[in-house]
Amino acid sequence: MTSLKNDMRTDISHLFLNIRFELKKHLNRKRIVLVVALAIALPILFYAIPPLLGGDYADTANAFASTNLGFITLLIVISGALFAGDAVSGEFEKKTGLTLFSTPQRRTSINVGKFAAALLATWFVISVYYLVTMLEIAQIFGFGAISVEFGMSFMLALIYAASVVAVIFFFSTIMKGTITSTLIGFFLLMLILPIIAGVLQFADVEPWFLVTYSSDVMTNVLGTSTGGFGSSGPAQRIGGGFSPDFYVGVGVMLAYAISLFLIGIGLANRRKME
Amino acid sequence: MHTTEFAIEIENLEKCYVKDVKVLDDVSFTVKKGEIVGYLGPNGSGKTTTIKILTNLLSPTSGHAYINGIDVNKNPKEALKPVGALIEVPGIYDYLTPHDVLRYHGKVHGMEKDKIDARIEEVLKTVRLSDWEHKKLGAFSTGMQRRLAVATTILHEPEILILDEPAIGLDPKGMKEIRDMLKQLQREGTTIFLSSHLLNEVSDTCDKVIFLDQTKVIAYDTVENIKNMVSVKRIEAKFLDQLSTDDLDRIGAIASVNEVEVANGRIHIGFDGKPETSHQILAKLISSGFRVSSYAPETVSLEDFYVSIMSDERGVN
Repeated sequence: MTSLKNDMRTDISHLFLNIRFELKKHLNRKRIVLVVALAIALPILFYAIPPLLGGDYADTANAFASTNLGFITLLIVISGALFAGDAVSGEFEKKTGLTLFSTPQRRTSINVGKFAAALLATWFVISVYYLVTMLEIAQIFGFGAISVEFGMSFMLALIYAASVVAVIFFFSTIMKGTITSTLIGFFLLMLILPIIAGVLQFADVEPWFLVTYSSDVMTNVLGTSTGGFGSSGPAQRIGGGFSPDFYVGVGVMLAYAISLFLIGIGLANRRKME
Repeated sequence: MHTTEFAIEIENLEKCYVKDVKVLDDVSFTVKKGEIVGYLGPNGSGKTTTIKILTNLLSPTSGHAYINGIDVNKNPKEALKPVGALIEVPGIYDYLTPHDVLRYHGKVHGMEKDKIDARIEEVLKTVRLSDWEHKKLGAFSTGMQRRLAVATTILHEPEILILDEPAIGLDPKGMKEIRDMLKQLQREGTTIFLSSHLLNEVSDTCDKVIFLDQTKVIAYDTVENIKNMVSVKRIEAKFLDQLSTDDLDRIGAIASVNEVEVANGRIHIGFDGKPETSHQILAKLISSGFRVSSYAPETVSLEDFYVSIMSDERGVN
């Protein structure tokens, strides 16, 4: 019993060690600096451009936030690709795994550490984006205008980030090259799935099972569309198109995150240095 | 748990990357605690595959690899605790420093914080990288990367060292330093299992040698016994007088002499390797008036054994 306890204790300590090590790698590679710079610059553009062009901000804080968060999906996918794209494949391609995987620790501690670090880095970037947006709302509309829906949108962005990181991490566990795994994950989420969603909607089929479609709940929750939070039924039609149901959307994002995380960890644990 | 008499035990190991194509075929051997054993074989003989299985980088198709009696592939976390392993040419994280990498490895091995820093200084001094402790690895030469890999391997003062071609990428000075370090570690009781294609390195460093060829172990013995297994078929002779071409022809005409060669002022005489024949040749030389000042079988090296055994295996005369 004591031995099992000690075993678990070292596993947990290895897990945290790997998370710290991976985060250090992200920091030293300066990738995190690049995406944090984007996370600051994008909302600042939305804040600075309307007055410069003589235009007005949106009427409400939520509408302003919704416009401002137009690039959050792109930022989440870029972050996920940069932090999770080479998480596992990189150790094989660059042969750093020869040293890493012959150490006395469970592969699960290493691989979960990699996933967690990629997720934490992505969450940090999202937090910066929302923080800058929140400060802009406070400046334009006052602190009181920061709504619960804005908080909900932030939580949904964190959930979507988990599913994005899981998708890209999954490709990293099955691909040989880091560029392939990063690009496949990126283009699947930015191009292929949105195209499939578009085609399905054109054929009058709601693509509720696609995670990119579900990600619309992040902005829908701000009330800029009639679907989203509080709606019932599988789908709400908006202007002839579909809009994801809040609960179904959250369920799909969680399902992608959990299932692909578990499959990815299983595959990464079994992968050998041939 | 298996028997703990051995630091390393390989039992009927078989590995197929592709179905029915064996890379290792029923390989078995043991390494006692405190021994330093060389693992030799031509490219593709299965050396690295064995080492990868022994460090859980690969799973065997069948058979077992034990470290201190613990099955590595069933319980790698426990089995690899006393091991320091250097396999092939591992990659580096360009953007990290030796300090970052060594600190991580120290922590994985459960070393205490204070001890890690002291030990990092020590091992970096050993591999002549003290001035580079906080420099990014991307700026390191191949030799420096190799020396850092060695430092990582010995950081936690492992009981067992598993080294795959440790001298690759090192200059002669670096190679000598590694050899001296291995000898020092063995004196301190470390078990060392070393694969190499540098036969002199193995001959100088190891107590025992395992020869692997075409997926099988073909010889496992002490270096001395291995050398004794090679029948010496050449004699090196020196003469008081300068020999003319006629003299060399006369020696070549002696029955049982099948080759006469002059190299570096010495005469090399080829024969069938039997002691009686050697005696007959010497007697004939003296009776023919040659003033022989020295007459001895040529020194046997592991290389001779390697060449002879590999030739036999392939049916080469």
